[in-house]
Amino acid sequence: MVTPSTRAGAHASAPVATATARPPRRFRPPRDIPRFALLCVLAVIFLAPVYWMLATSVKPEVDVISTPTQWVPANPTLDNYREVLTSPDGNILRWMWNSFFVATVFTVLHVALCALTAYPLARMRFPGREAIFWFILGSMMIPGIVTLIPSYLMMIRFDWINSFHSLIWPGLAGAFGVFLLRQFFLGLPRELEEAARLDGANSLQVLWHVILPLSIPSLVTLAVFSFMGSWNNFIWPTFVVTDIDKLTLPVGVNTFSQRYVTDYGKLMASTAIASIPVLIAYLLAQRYLIAGLSTTGMKE
Amino acid sequence: MSLSLPGEAARPREGRRRRGGREGSALTPYLYLLPFMALFLVFVVYPVGYGLFVSLHRWDLLAETRPFVGLEYYRNLFDPETPQSQFFWNSMKNTGFFTLVSVPLLIGTSLGLALLLHRPIFGRAFFRSVFFLPGILTVSVMGILWRWMFDNQIGLVNAVRTDLLGMQPLPFLSTEGLAWVPIIVGTVWWTIGFNMTLYLAGLGNISQSYYEAAEIDGATPWAKFRFITWPLLAPVTLFVFVTTVLASFQLFGQTLVITAGGPNRTTQSTIQYITEEAFSNNQFSSASAMAFLFGLVMLIFTYLQFRIMARDARGEN
Repeated sequence: MVTPSTRAGAHASAPVATATARPPRRFRPPRDIPRFALLCVLAVIFLAPVYWMLATSVKPEVDVISTPTQWVPANPTLDNYREVLTSPDGNILRWMWNSFFVATVFTVLHVALCALTAYPLARMRFPGREAIFWFILGSMMIPGIVTLIPSYLMMIRFDWINSFHSLIWPGLAGAFGVFLLRQFFLGLPRELEEAARLDGANSLQVLWHVILPLSIPSLVTLAVFSFMGSWNNFIWPTFVVTDIDKLTLPVGVNTFSQRYVTDYGKLMASTAIASIPVLIAYLLAQRYLIAGLSTTGMKE
Repeated sequence: MSLSLPGEAARPREGRRRRGGREGSALTPYLYLLPFMALFLVFVVYPVGYGLFVSLHRWDLLAETRPFVGLEYYRNLFDPETPQSQFFWNSMKNTGFFTLVSVPLLIGTSLGLALLLHRPIFGRAFFRSVFFLPGILTVSVMGILWRWMFDNQIGLVNAVRTDLLGMQPLPFLSTEGLAWVPIIVGTVWWTIGFNMTLYLAGLGNISQSYYEAAEIDGATPWAKFRFITWPLLAPVTLFVFVTTVLASFQLFGQTLVITAGGPNRTTQSTIQYITEEAFSNNQFSSASAMAFLFGLVMLIFTYLQFRIMARDARGEN
């Protein structure tokens, strides 16, 4: 390792000197070393719960509660995983599939619906356009808790309790998605649309062949948010789904938490399994997720 | 774009007129809006009125009649004798406490992290991922994880206290007051990445020339932060503040999973109590009244968020 003093000297003399001495690294001025060290410490703190989860998940029950603490699993075993995956109290893979199914159907319908709605609001002129847009946007002022109980009573009347319908339909007409896409559509150049019109395209063809291909970044952003929102939804599914085979992953894992109150080996195995798909999804969608988040909801 | 002549700018307008005529149907835009508006009216607008209706009647799922009782359920909330009033205001106090403590903490830590990560540094992408990562976990996973971290006997925090520092274990989860520690620490860990990303975007938008000018004037790092970074980040901070307050008001999963609202209801959040009243006690009217009262408190902040978004909507027009 290079000490701060040599690095400082090398950097002060000339960048060329560093380049010849060793492959250039991005440590730049010497004061970056404390910053780097601080970030390392914070990263360790942030990852500690994840390490503790994985370590606990491979310990036999006696080792979980042993004192002194077993920092590194001495007798690693996959028993916890096996038991959680084959538990008669609920199938975690089933819940994962339920979540995936609901989130996928929701996302496809939601993005399509928002695009169809945002299109005329952004690119057509008709009486009442502004009023309708502000009416939809204004609904964002309704706090979610206000509609929780009446929506639940409606689900009873529709006979949608323990049905995926209750997890998909009520959330579809979201103002945020319409808002996001309308803002994006507004910024698209008129000329392309005009050209398509002159070639005889109707409005649906313009939407499909011109607007949507140009809007892929915002569509992906909305899709990622919709999917994550549906996947992570907790309050609503907790109450409208009680059938053990219909639970979504967050609710299902929480039923484990109530069942194995202190059996942390099994709890940690179930949380680890529950985290794997989001981890993979995150690694795949990371770029869109962070870019989408950075550009959403704030301008100037 | 800036090269277009005034005559060219006028042309699209003509084209639109012509097209409008050829398209022929004034109904087209409304047909596009129809599916959304149908769902919107059924699942967003109608439930608001229905909820108000329920809160003014004595609603019993099994009973045949649901008599009108006016504001009785609202009055109960202001009558200190009723258990509803005691538990509801207790939960409001808890939610308020959580908001008051967690919001400054969440804003401060995420801004601090963003400042640490804004300038290039070795492994920046890795650090960003590490700090963002907890946010993708679902609330029950996060809750179970932090319950285990702060387990009264053998959680990691107590293991460090006893095995490494030679201290006594603290029963975090079952001690009034202390039970907030895992909830707040867990929430910071869980949500810091989102706000950090917003701050990083905000920092990226600040022109470097301000700092260069300040450097010529010999400004200290603190002065640069105080007079350049902080004021220019004000819009981001406002957005983060409003969304964080709203998220804190909606506290539910963390307390449910980590402490189940205990000990002795000292960490029971408002939404948790409202759902208990509705779904465990089957008091839908009483719970609806609470939801409306609570919604009214939240409305101030939802209004602020609405204003921020509305400003964006106008800005693009």
